[in-house]
Amino acid sequence: MASTACFMIVSKNDIPIYEAEVGTAPKKEDAAHQHQFILHAALDIVQDLAWTTSAMFLKSIDRFNDLVVSVYVTAGHILHIIHTRLMLLHDSRNDDGIKSFFQEVHELYIKILLNPLYLPGSRITSSHFDTKVRALARKYL
Amino acid sequence: MDPANSTLGRMLLDEITPVVMVLRTHLVEESSQKNQLSFIQLLSPFCNFNNIDVPVRTASDQPYRLKKFKLRLLYASDIRQPNIEVAKERLNQVITDAGEKDLSNLCSEPLQIEIVLNSSQNEFLPSWFQYFNKELVRTVSFSEHEAFDHPVTCLLAVSSWDEDPINKFVDLFNTNQLPSLLNDGAMDPKILKHFVLVHDGEEVPIERATKTLAEMRSTFGANCCHLLCINSSKDGSEEHENLWAAYKTDISHGQQLRCFLSSDDLDELKKFVQDLSSKHIIPHMEQKIRLLNQQVSATRKGFRNQIKNLWWRKGKDDAPENSAGPTYTFSSVESQIRVLGDYAFMLHDYELALSNYRLLSTDYKLDKAWKHYAGVQEMMGLTYFMLDQSRKDGEYCMENAFTTYLKIGSSGQRNVTRCGLWWVEMLKARDQYKEAASVYLRISGEEPLHSAVMIEQASYCYLFSTPPMLRKYGFHLVLSGDLYKKCDQIKHAIRTYKGALSVFKGTTWRHIRDHVHFHIGKWYGFLGIFDVAIKNMLEVLACGHQSKTTQELFLKDFLQIIQQTGRTYEVPKLQLPVINIPSVKVVYEDHRTYASQAAIHVKESLWQSLEEDMIPTLSSKSNWLELQSKILPKKFKESNICVAGEAIGIAIEFKNPLQIPVSVSGVSLICEHSPVVSEPNANNSIGDQTGETSNKSATSGNSTSDTSLFTLSEADVALGEGETVLVQLTVTPIAEGTLKIVGIRWKLSGSLAGFCTFDSDLVRKKVVKGNRKAKRSTIDNLKFLVIKSLPKLEGFIHHLPETVYVGDLRCIALELKNPSKSPVKKLKMKVSPPRFLQIGHKEDLEVQFPACLERTSTRQSSLRSKTDKVSDGIFLFPEDTTIADGAPISWPLWLRAAAPGKISLHLSVYYEMGDISSVMTYRTLRLHFNIEVLPSLDVSFQINPRPSRLREFLVRMDVVNRSSSKGFQVHQLSSVGNEWEISLLEPTKVLPSDFLLAGQAISWFLKLKNCRSVTDQDSVSSLCPLAKADVNLLCGSEMLFDLHSSPLSEFHHYERVHQRISEKEHEDTVDFILVSRSQSEENKCEIFFSHHICHSSVRTSSPIWWIMDGSRTVKHDFKEPFCVITLRMIVHNSSDDVVSVHCNPSDSAVNISSSGNISAASGNEIGWHDFSMSNDIKITSDAPGPRVVKPMSSDTVLPFIWSASSSTHFTLEPLSSRETPMEICVFSPGTFDLSNYSLNWSISSPSDKWDNGDESRASSGTCQGHPFYITVLQQD
Repeated sequence: MASTACFMIVSKNDIPIYEAEVGTAPKKEDAAHQHQFILHAALDIVQDLAWTTSAMFLKSIDRFNDLVVSVYVTAGHILHIIHTRLMLLHDSRNDDGIKSFFQEVHELYIKILLNPLYLPGSRITSSHFDTKVRALARKYL
Repeated sequence: MDPANSTLGRMLLDEITPVVMVLRTHLVEESSQKNQLSFIQLLSPFCNFNNIDVPVRTASDQPYRLKKFKLRLLYASDIRQPNIEVAKERLNQVITDAGEKDLSNLCSEPLQIEIVLNSSQNEFLPSWFQYFNKELVRTVSFSEHEAFDHPVTCLLAVSSWDEDPINKFVDLFNTNQLPSLLNDGAMDPKILKHFVLVHDGEEVPIERATKTLAEMRSTFGANCCHLLCINSSKDGSEEHENLWAAYKTDISHGQQLRCFLSSDDLDELKKFVQDLSSKHIIPHMEQKIRLLNQQVSATRKGFRNQIKNLWWRKGKDDAPENSAGPTYTFSSVESQIRVLGDYAFMLHDYELALSNYRLLSTDYKLDKAWKHYAGVQEMMGLTYFMLDQSRKDGEYCMENAFTTYLKIGSSGQRNVTRCGLWWVEMLKARDQYKEAASVYLRISGEEPLHSAVMIEQASYCYLFSTPPMLRKYGFHLVLSGDLYKKCDQIKHAIRTYKGALSVFKGTTWRHIRDHVHFHIGKWYGFLGIFDVAIKNMLEVLACGHQSKTTQELFLKDFLQIIQQTGRTYEVPKLQLPVINIPSVKVVYEDHRTYASQAAIHVKESLWQSLEEDMIPTLSSKSNWLELQSKILPKKFKESNICVAGEAIGIAIEFKNPLQIPVSVSGVSLICEHSPVVSEPNANNSIGDQTGETSNKSATSGNSTSDTSLFTLSEADVALGEGETVLVQLTVTPIAEGTLKIVGIRWKLSGSLAGFCTFDSDLVRKKVVKGNRKAKRSTIDNLKFLVIKSLPKLEGFIHHLPETVYVGDLRCIALELKNPSKSPVKKLKMKVSPPRFLQIGHKEDLEVQFPACLERTSTRQSSLRSKTDKVSDGIFLFPEDTTIADGAPISWPLWLRAAAPGKISLHLSVYYEMGDISSVMTYRTLRLHFNIEVLPSLDVSFQINPRPSRLREFLVRMDVVNRSSSKGFQVHQLSSVGNEWEISLLEPTKVLPSDFLLAGQAISWFLKLKNCRSVTDQDSVSSLCPLAKADVNLLCGSEMLFDLHSSPLSEFHHYERVHQRISEKEHEDTVDFILVSRSQSEENKCEIFFSHHICHSSVRTSSPIWWIMDGSRTVKHDFKEPFCVITLRMIVHNSSDDVVSVHCNPSDSAVNISSSGNISAASGNEIGWHDFSMSNDIKITSDAPGPRVVKPMSSDTVLPFIWSASSSTHFTLEPLSSRETPMEICVFSPGTFDLSNYSLNWSISSPSDKWDNGDESRASSGTCQGHPFYITVLQQD
């Protein structure tokens, strides 16, 4: 089954620091900007929702046609460090899988943060991270 | 907030009002057309009452006063459901018109997002939205399931001009002409009629009208007849304030109507409509409400009726379900309740309306009459809203109506829209913008254009919600823009995208940015607004993250737009190609000039250290800096200096971020040149120069007129996919003045000119990064002071090989040339590194090398004068050397490849200007070369003392050819200095051929004799050669090279310095020079190699040398009891101190075994071995016979004893020898080893230099005796 999934990590000031098309559906030319639009617009919802709940995983907060946005908010917004949001645009309903995916990617992201050479808030260029994320996507999504 | 004052409230009070059906004869129409108005238009301004103040009583006799009231006048022909196609057409027209109107704003900049946020809703929302929404609502009017559009009254108008007006009135209310609503039974055909006789004062006398009125009154009843006089003004010149502007769309403001209406007429019209409303319509409605209410109460209210109703309804359950539901005629109870509710709503009795709607909705629901049900739910929602209570119920009702309409399919589609629009307004009135937006999105149906408008409205809802949801706003604007584009409404599309741009400006979401900029740019291009189009397209050009096809599309469309403009476009910040400004490197020549590109890239610090002693500036800080500060204005003091006619080079990195090749042409610099106005006097104060420095400045624009001031170079670059190219550009100033490099220009694909200025911030960054040229912390490093042209030396080196082998010594010629007329003088030169490069003598150029090194008896090489050399390695050219007019001078340099690897050679030539007047008095020429040195012969020495000789060493020389292919001819080995003699141990030819081939190794054994003596102590440093210091290793050639002659001796000096192991230098070392030769591949000439091995240690553990001397074979007749043999021991002190020696023969064998330990303890020096006898024999092949006797086992009693006199004690002067006699007594014949003695030595008067921590040398020690065999034979 071909699925669409677009994964992004958004740092403070809504700057995307990592993006990956992790779906199995064949790539369409206009999909990239459409996905960005949807995820970008969903940030408005995240902004409201993040303060209403203590949960990190906010499932299906926004939707556009048959695409659903789920978000994993890191604890940064409580501690005023770096409020990072892991956002996934997907069309599958596999909530458990998505949650596990987020948790594992969050761990990976923390490892990236621990790297003293990584400047928090800058773009993640590690190819290792990229391959890991894609592997996780294949596993869970 | 009062619901009546909200947008929805006003809309409802406008739209849900009693309808008056107007029937008129065509003469009535004609009369009113004289004023360019239709009959309805004539009356409409008076139908809107803001304060009618009519007392009304509710059904339960509660009195209240009606304030706001409105009548809707409609011709009978218009009272029907509008044609869908026509309605659609009209809506589209509305949108298109709105688009055209906006054209002026189209090109304006997108607003700042802050301004958008602060602007109020009314000023920001496009005004045509409301009009559009109203039109949209009207498309579903006069539906049979709703009663508020059903006419309440019928107004019949007949002109007084008509013949037989009474019959006309009857004819008018002919069923054929009536709307279908009345005919098909949806509403009661018995409606209130009102008869109006329109009297055109112009045509007909008033008498006839009054007569007709009387007739009418008698026929139709006195109350419902009226006479209306119009057009009483004769000349048609009456002017009124423009009452009709709002009602007549095709007249523009300010245009005065030709009006025949007098003010009396207007008053009468007003009074007529007011009477109609207050005396007829409202009482009629009130009465009908009462009547209906009574009926409904009788049939439906109360417990009994409810039960009955339920029972009755239940029976209908099995009726087949019909999508439109059952039809209800006006006489049915349901219709009556609906009429009751709607009338109550129109008279603002919302409580009554609500109760009836509630009653009705359950009925319709049970009947599954979904459309009716939805209509009632809709009205309930509105009633709740107008009552301003129970918001939740109101919303629930709207939601219910919305979904129900949606459920009934396409026929309900437009009702869905209307219901949605009302719902949205309801939410907006309560500031629930977010919900409103989602409703808007639900409204957007399959009609793309309407969807576009709805989505756009939704986006504004997001904007106005609190907190503002800007991202949603932007996203939905883009969505709606795409839909507009799909319907060819490009202007609307641009408008929405422009709104989106203000949100997405500067976003880091690259795909979003690219999408918005690209599309808006493309659309502007369609409209022919090219400058804005290009501005937007420029944003997406450097889209390295996009796929290749997208990049191609972007570039293609962009170039298309550029082509359409038909001219070259200047773009200030063109992002294609990307210019790496921090990478800008400036190369210019002030007093420092460079012979080649390679010299430029050498570190400045290296040059500075090389030139340190040569340049007067750095040493004394006096000459030209001071001079310059006087001559130059202060503001130029910090700028860089360059010379007119000499190019300033700039290297800039161009990077193509795309995956498609890009061609860039005509890359050149932009420069500003301003001449210096006045040359200030040396004494002049500098402060007042700033104001008048330049009155004219020339910027190199497109014009090429200023080529007299400077010339620029142009370059064309083709950048491949993702390629980075370093572009070298030059500017050559011609006139004096100041030159500032402002930026760079280039042409993309031949039609787009981009330029980029070097922001001083960015260039300064470069300084931080340590660019050597910009070391002075100037504000603008790209500003140059151009001074008048100076002579500049050019330098080359002839015959410089690219690769050489280690040891290669050759002469190369440096050629200096001065192309200018004015001469330069006082040349100095310095070279680095000295180990590789030495400056020769002038005559070296003429002599033949290496033949000049051959030792001849006649030539005294060491007497060469060294007068033209000074210390610190600075070479001064002869005083009279001046160079001018392009005549070259050559000077020899010696190159010796000292070590393998890639070697950089640096030369710096200092020279002074011939004429003193110039700003710059001196310049330096910097030359830089690289040579690669390949390994050749590897020479190592192993030196051991030779115990059998006094002060002699055995030397093993191992020569390995490390080169890959080259063969070498080992020619000569020399020891340096006058204290050593060297000779071959065996004069045999070891090498089978003359050449040592690649990879081959060979060893030679040599004798080395120290012949230092006290007498030549003071001439140690002189390099006077000793005849025996050289060994010819090549058989058949007796030629020897003089290795103490000029270039070799200097190289040897630096080689010694380089190979020095420690700071301390002592004499116990020997330096060797191995000379080898080879043929060069190219021209078969001979190459000379010298290998210098310095500081080979010859140190031993003790300062003393000794040998036993005496006859080896003694014949004795052992009839005598014992035999006394006398021997000599020669002891030599090789140290510089006085040594006391104690000779200590011992008879015990224990000493022998311990001797090894002693020597081992002191043998911490490299090269010292505990030489066993067997080794000595092996090397020294002159040892007689085979090894004879093993030493006797040590535990036996020795067969000889030392006589007492052998133990002696004496002191030795430095470098002196002494002989002492030794004696042994032998008791039996045999061979004896006389090594069981030891010499104890101690330095009795240690000089200072041994004291100072030289622990490698002990001040005393014990040496075990050397083996000495003596054979005693029985004498026959």
